Amino acid sequence: MGNIKTKMLSLLLICVFLLTFITGCGGQSSSGSGQDDEIKIGFLGALTGEVASYGINTLKGMKMAADEINADGGVLGKKIRIIEADNRGDKGEIANVTQKFITRDKVAAIIGDPTTGGTKVAAQIAQQGKVVLLSAGAVGTGVVEIGDYIFRNTLLDSVAAPVVVKYLKENMGWEKVAIVTSKNNDYSVGQTKVFKKALSENGVEVVTEEFIQDKDTNFSGQVTNIKAKNPDGIVFTGYYTEGGLLMAEAYKQGLKVNLVGGDGLLSDVLIKLGGKGVEGSMTFAGFSPEKPDENTKKFIDTYKTKYNEEPDMFVAQGYDAVKIIAEAIKKANSTDPTVFKAELAKIKDFPGVSGSTTFKANREPVKSPVNLLVVKNGKFSLLAKIPVEIN
Amino acid sequence: MFYQQLLNGLTVGSAYALIALGYTMVYGIITLINFAHGEIFMVGAFVGLALAIFFKANIFVTIIGAMVACMLLGVVVEKIAYRPLRRSSRLSALISSIGVSIFLSTLVQLIRGPQTTNYPTNIIQNSMYHLGSIQISKLQVMMILISALLMLGLHLIVKYTKIGKAMRAVSQDYDAASLMGININQVISFTFAVGSALAAAGGVLVGIYFNAVAPLMGLSAGLKAFSAAVLGGIGSIPGAMLGGVILGIAEITAIALGKSSYTDAIAFSILLLVLLIKPTGLLGRPIQRKV
Amino acid sequence: MDFIFNDYNLRILISVGIYIIMALGLNLITGVTGQLSLGHAAFMSIGAYTSALISMKLGLPFGVALLAGALMASFFGVLVGFPTLRLTGDYLAIATLGFAEIVRVLLVNMQFTGGALGLSPIPNKTNLYIVYLLVFVVIFAMYRIENSRVGRAFLAIREDEIAAEAMGIQTTKYKILAFAMGAFCAGLGGALYAHYITYINPIDFGFMKSIEILNMVVLGGMGSIPGTIIGASLLTLAPETLRFVDEYRMLFYGAMLIALMIFRPNGLLGGVNFRNLVFKTFKLNRSSQGK
Repeated sequence: MGNIKTKMLSLLLICVFLLTFITGCGGQSSSGSGQDDEIKIGFLGALTGEVASYGINTLKGMKMAADEINADGGVLGKKIRIIEADNRGDKGEIANVTQKFITRDKVAAIIGDPTTGGTKVAAQIAQQGKVVLLSAGAVGTGVVEIGDYIFRNTLLDSVAAPVVVKYLKENMGWEKVAIVTSKNNDYSVGQTKVFKKALSENGVEVVTEEFIQDKDTNFSGQVTNIKAKNPDGIVFTGYYTEGGLLMAEAYKQGLKVNLVGGDGLLSDVLIKLGGKGVEGSMTFAGFSPEKPDENTKKFIDTYKTKYNEEPDMFVAQGYDAVKIIAEAIKKANSTDPTVFKAELAKIKDFPGVSGSTTFKANREPVKSPVNLLVVKNGKFSLLAKIPVEIN
Repeated sequence: MFYQQLLNGLTVGSAYALIALGYTMVYGIITLINFAHGEIFMVGAFVGLALAIFFKANIFVTIIGAMVACMLLGVVVEKIAYRPLRRSSRLSALISSIGVSIFLSTLVQLIRGPQTTNYPTNIIQNSMYHLGSIQISKLQVMMILISALLMLGLHLIVKYTKIGKAMRAVSQDYDAASLMGININQVISFTFAVGSALAAAGGVLVGIYFNAVAPLMGLSAGLKAFSAAVLGGIGSIPGAMLGGVILGIAEITAIALGKSSYTDAIAFSILLLVLLIKPTGLLGRPIQRKV
Repeated sequence: MDFIFNDYNLRILISVGIYIIMALGLNLITGVTGQLSLGHAAFMSIGAYTSALISMKLGLPFGVALLAGALMASFFGVLVGFPTLRLTGDYLAIATLGFAEIVRVLLVNMQFTGGALGLSPIPNKTNLYIVYLLVFVVIFAMYRIENSRVGRAFLAIREDEIAAEAMGIQTTKYKILAFAMGAFCAGLGGALYAHYITYINPIDFGFMKSIEILNMVVLGGMGSIPGTIIGASLLTLAPETLRFVDEYRMLFYGAMLIALMIFRPNGLLGGVNFRNLVFKTFKLNRSSQGK
């Protein structure tokens, strides 16, 4: 009987191999052509599932940048092509897609994932496959440490939070705050750590610490708690959806304080959901739609006519990421990641729409100045530009 | 403070109860855990949103419109995905309902985008009432009242109408009921219609109350409402109401105690405890083990 | 050869192997013993976190981490098994669902698991050889179990629990055993997953992950080992093969589940007698084999 069992098992294994083979071939033929006259950039992010909104917007920005570059004749005479794939935000799929970009599509660079966790998974593989990965969203720790092919162009909380807290204390007289963290959101948990350090360094007291979870919609309990403590302001480290809802609830309960948070709050959705509650709320960002320079204005106008909405931080960062990669390729005069990564590391004061980007020696980005935005009459307006020293 | 939180809990709980009723009714009749029910709730919220935005409908028209649309959706889903499976194993129907759930949430996401959106703020003039130290908003009063009215209506239907009697008969003994000349298909369709309508009403109310409507809101709300149904004793209509309110209050209590990141765990811990002590839920009928 | 044995195909092959191990574990609980579990991802997460912590904090060899992950999951399997055994059918399913949610919430809230930040970097130790060695071991073990006294007891419980008890089978003992063994496989798969993806956080082990694994078992055919293997392979490959429809693939996925349940409610290979099929293909007959 044992003989038959092994036969059966080998039969099954053959089936499995066969299926993989079929999948392997299907993609090969479709992307085999046109390797030389275009530069492929992989988009890594979710188009469906819980984190889809970040991925979709990053992709919109990337496409816009690619279209602009291609309209101007491309880079080194080659057109940029964005290769899309949906990873649903699932770590296993993120790994698969990253490997697919490297092995099958032979991309020059990968842009994404918008989440820190996804970037960490992809970075291991990109580093091994010697392909440049530039994350347009990861702000957590332990990302660029993975290797010399790994970059990110985000405004780091560790850069922005200290200067913002200092500003709030000195100019708005904040002495005691409530901190709200989204416990199942790694971005939020990481940012809370940074904020707490900055607050204690500046002698601002944390009167209560509240927790929420992403996708929660009911914040009545937290708001009731915060109201009882009567703080000068709320430090909120989560994303715009929950931020908007929290402030709408605060308004409903008559809690009249302002909220401050990171660039995860920078979206029209915050204002739409928060309504009158978010009036006066502040976010720091590398990106400011107010008083833009010429480039940024063009970017905002093009985006508005194309999608009929204000661009958010993910759009801006996705857009910049493509431009930064293009810049490095142009300078290095090569589309080979092993060559142009050196030029990428040397990027200094790159005038992007999400702020001016400089990569430090450890490839961590510094974006200066930090824009402090405030919601005024249902729109983000610029409150202050705070310069950051690069060291 | 305490009463304020209790009131918040009661408001949320009454919405859970509305959704839980759909689970419990369907389970009571065809012993199916209808996983797609949370998605019906979500669709209800979106239909209401569309009515409010495009037709500037007021809150009552919105709720009724969403209820009618979801009634149809519920009946169609039952016809396509569950009816052919009535004689196959219960697990098949369960998997099919998971398929419906994935299908509907993806569909809405494709049509509407994944962003969370909200109802127009002018759908309700939200004024505050003060009762001593506690505040109660007009919306909260309406939520509790509408939920209570709908549940009362359901109770009257089940208790005093012919179709209600038929529902009770089918849930007691499926085969015997059909032998007595009850049109089983009609009863099941009716159950789905009523359950879906209640979920849709819940969807609109929750959407307005929390100011948020998202394509993926169905899953977690569905899971919680389902727990509420089991907590109260699945198959029992008063049980679903009781379960919903208990769950809502438990969650708010957790938040008030500063343990808000444990809310889901607390809801499910209560559920597990009740199941272990009284496996059929608080108001459930004892399980008959048929040999 | 390069386009067959490239890194991408290798990576997918490894994922397939890991899911085969986990799905076979669930098949033992749900397919063979008939106890619906909606919390398989929780066992997977326990295996993943245990092994990752052992590798990262203690620096012990990979083999030890794998075994510890699997054993810890198995231990929790028994832990869940004990109290929930009074429950049957759907109540058990809900209890496992509740258990899974509680595990997830605890992982988010505990300090040493890194909370929402998760654990990284986990050493990348999983490779094709280890995965498929373990796949073969698990498949072999499953066949041995199925044809043993224990396996027949499992089947008896699935077919009729009361009758099984009447025949002198200690249903409680065997149900716990099934949970322990199934959780062992899930833990093993989770440990392999953690050392393969190198980063884990609680979001990866939610309700949808449990459903994904359940679908593998159901698609292939409940209780069928070859069926489960094929189900796991197909569904792991499906997102990759369906990549050309990208945003629409979850829509297909949902529709596929419904259609499958309607037209082949026992799964693709449910009810297919594999041994006979192989005999027929290889033109062998049973009697000659017996000699």
